[in-house]
Amino acid sequence: MSGLLAYVSRRLSITFLILLAVSFAVYLIFALLPFDPASLTCGKNCNDPGIIEANRIRLGYDKPFYEQYWVFLVGLFAGRNYGEGAAAIHCAAPSFGYSFQQHACVTDLLSDALPVTLALAIGALVLWLTIGIGLGVLSARFRGRVLDTASTVFVLIGTSLPTFLTGLMLIIFVVIKWKLLPFPAGGYTSPFENPLVWLNTMILPWITLAFAYAALYTRFVRSQVIETSTEDYIRTARAKGLGEGVILGKHTLRAALAPIATMAGLDFAGLMGGAILTEAVFNLPGLGRLSLGAVLDYDLPIIVATTLLAAAIVVLMNLVLDLVYAFIDPRVRV
Amino acid sequence: MLKGNKKALKNTLATLAVAALATAGLTGCSAGANVGGTLTYVTYQDAWTHADPQRNYTGRDIAWFGSYMHRTLTAYDRAEGAAGSAVVPDLATDTGTASNDNKTWEFTLRDGVSFEDGTPITCEDIKYGVSRTFATDVITDGPGYAISMLDIPKGADGTSVYKGPYATEGNDTAAFDKAIVCSNENKTITFNLSRSVGDFNYTTTYLSFGPVPKAADNGDQYDLNPVSSGPYKIESYKAKDSMVLVRNENWNKDSDPLRASRANPDKIVVKFGVAEEVRDQLFLTDSDPNSMSLDAILPTNLPSIFDDAGEVLPEFAGRAINVYDPYVRFAFVNVKKLNCLPVRQAIYYAKDFDGLITLAGGQTFNGDPADGAIKPLMGLDYKKTTGYEDIGTSPNIEKAVALMEQAKTECPELHARVTDKNRGIVYDIADSETNKKSAAIWIDSLAKAGMVIKFNFIEAGSYYSIVMDPTKQSDLSAAGWAPDWANASTVIPELFTTAGGFNLTQNADDPTYAEFEKLSNAALVEPDRKKQGEQWAALNQYVMDQMWIIPGTFSKTQEIWGSGLGGVYFWEPQGAPSFGDIFLK
Repeated sequence: MSGLLAYVSRRLSITFLILLAVSFAVYLIFALLPFDPASLTCGKNCNDPGIIEANRIRLGYDKPFYEQYWVFLVGLFAGRNYGEGAAAIHCAAPSFGYSFQQHACVTDLLSDALPVTLALAIGALVLWLTIGIGLGVLSARFRGRVLDTASTVFVLIGTSLPTFLTGLMLIIFVVIKWKLLPFPAGGYTSPFENPLVWLNTMILPWITLAFAYAALYTRFVRSQVIETSTEDYIRTARAKGLGEGVILGKHTLRAALAPIATMAGLDFAGLMGGAILTEAVFNLPGLGRLSLGAVLDYDLPIIVATTLLAAAIVVLMNLVLDLVYAFIDPRVRV
Repeated sequence: MLKGNKKALKNTLATLAVAALATAGLTGCSAGANVGGTLTYVTYQDAWTHADPQRNYTGRDIAWFGSYMHRTLTAYDRAEGAAGSAVVPDLATDTGTASNDNKTWEFTLRDGVSFEDGTPITCEDIKYGVSRTFATDVITDGPGYAISMLDIPKGADGTSVYKGPYATEGNDTAAFDKAIVCSNENKTITFNLSRSVGDFNYTTTYLSFGPVPKAADNGDQYDLNPVSSGPYKIESYKAKDSMVLVRNENWNKDSDPLRASRANPDKIVVKFGVAEEVRDQLFLTDSDPNSMSLDAILPTNLPSIFDDAGEVLPEFAGRAINVYDPYVRFAFVNVKKLNCLPVRQAIYYAKDFDGLITLAGGQTFNGDPADGAIKPLMGLDYKKTTGYEDIGTSPNIEKAVALMEQAKTECPELHARVTDKNRGIVYDIADSETNKKSAAIWIDSLAKAGMVIKFNFIEAGSYYSIVMDPTKQSDLSAAGWAPDWANASTVIPELFTTAGGFNLTQNADDPTYAEFEKLSNAALVEPDRKKQGEQWAALNQYVMDQMWIIPGTFSKTQEIWGSGLGGVYFWEPQGAPSFGDIFLK
């Protein structure tokens, strides 16, 4: 157990260093961009050098790059203050800055958006794993038969249709034309606040995302199962007289699960960075829309924060996957 | 106002628009309107550009918030056609009294006006509201008329010595206190201006001349929770979600004759972030009859609603309009870089209007070719410009070639540059699919006159911040503008004088500029409105004679709403639907 703890602490230290490097790189990229962040905060019709200069000083863009980065790092642990008098704003630690486009501390924006994307990603993950694994196994089991052919068609459609089109079609037909679900009210309702509204809001986005991913997983699981079925130990199991169900459940599928878990973990991490199109089509105020809006508005504090968060999630997800492996296979702890 | 961003229109809009509305049988009158119900607005935008009265600057936003929440000293009348452009009192008892050669304006507040918590609105609240305009580092995007008109000195850096209510040091509050004076009983507000402004009571229609309670002001974040002085107040507002307005129980109907017979729905909901195609489908199928789109219709959906002539199809009769919007689209000419008139004129003659307008949806939906910076609907201030009768909607390549020949002698250096395939003319334009396609049309048509044009595509979000920097601006810069009210004083000086807020012509050193500025300043203080109109028309001609802009279009917009709504018409002075008159049938 102490070996596992040492492994975890070592990996956490590395994760911290990676995030530090990512934050520095993101800051550096924005420092090199050909935009003047002070002009961008000044307003769309602002051409007054005095105003631009005042904003530059207020936001600290007049300071050297390394100093701005240091202030950012300090803000993460000590919070930051902006402006003066009645217009003074305090963003408590951990502060990623203040968005003058959204009139809010970036940390608050992230904490509002994170649960939405989390709910979207988890729901879609459950759905696509259920469909993908189920259909993949059945497809492998009944290879070359009607079910396999139907599954191939499903895979073809699922991988061909872009998510924004699937989403739009679902809304136009299910909500607007057939009126099977109420029109998305806009925004996000927590499941703890109103489970029914939450379900109504999330079901179509889950289906949209799951449709694309389930198709990929169906193909992947099918090929994994078929490949594993040809292994010697499966032949041995069959020779021992084990039933097909037991062979599939205890041997074939179990062997195929590790790569599926890896793939699912990374896909999940990717989605947590923001399912931009799905969130945009279904009007979900998640991380994807937050990032997209920030990029379109050149809202640098949000771009930095969402990039860091996405990087952190990918790094942490990798850590979790490695830990799972470490737990399963002690050899990786070395 | 900048295209698509700022400002409100305050002009007299198209006769054509009025005719279209009349044909559709619409009415702007609230008489007989039903009271109650929930009116829903739908938009693809994630939130309002601004809800703070001092930061509202698009005609649509001013129309919306001015109808429901924010009152100011004066306002435009709620009526169809030109009648809607009449200025009427709002918080004030009348439309103001001018003295001192129009340099002093006085307004007296009505009795019974109050904020949503019942606190009476006083002169000091108006004064505090106006003071926020000066905090330009916090209260961004709003109109700067208070800064440019009030008699407050400028510092060495050219900015006002008064920095607004938040600055804690180096702030000359005494100068502001002299510029705006409240009477002892706190009911009369006096504005002391730095120059004669005969139509200052048009300026005070801006919500930025409205009240803000000092105790509730929290700077930038006031944009999320502004205090109401009108018939509705905010119950909830969340970006990417919705805004809900409910009735303001402390609104005194008797103090607000402008809105007393309106304010029909009990509740008003705005749904933000609806995907554009989904939004249009909602209205095409009339899924929610009690809703209205806050956005223009997608070009791809226009043929489902209008016929080829731009008339509303029978199935959408009474719930869609195709009208002129307040904007004139054009390209600024950087006179410093294109310092040779024949070259500038050659560009105009070689421009393929037909191709560009067809690309953008055709004249029916995109608008007519412009002949200057002033739209015909400005009435008094518009006169068709002359001197270019030999160009129609098709390019006159022969004339363009002749002008380029002339340029070869008059300005050989510039001629060499604009015909050099490695240099050419550079055009700043926002990076969009349509603009990329338009580049091909420009390249093709100018090439026929021997000119080379290259494009500097700039991300839309940073477009103006880049082209407004003279060190980054190229030879031509795409732009759009609408007047702030029905006077070209908000067009000509703004766009073409050094005192203007949006002059991208860099014309200050042009030999013809001094005379232009003199004429413009004379027009600004001309008390005779008819004569002033003639002066603006002459200056518009001057702009065309010098080719300081390459005119684009007098543009149009299309609106749609559900079948359950009544009272919708196009409110000309704001270039927006008549939000305040809308009711549920």
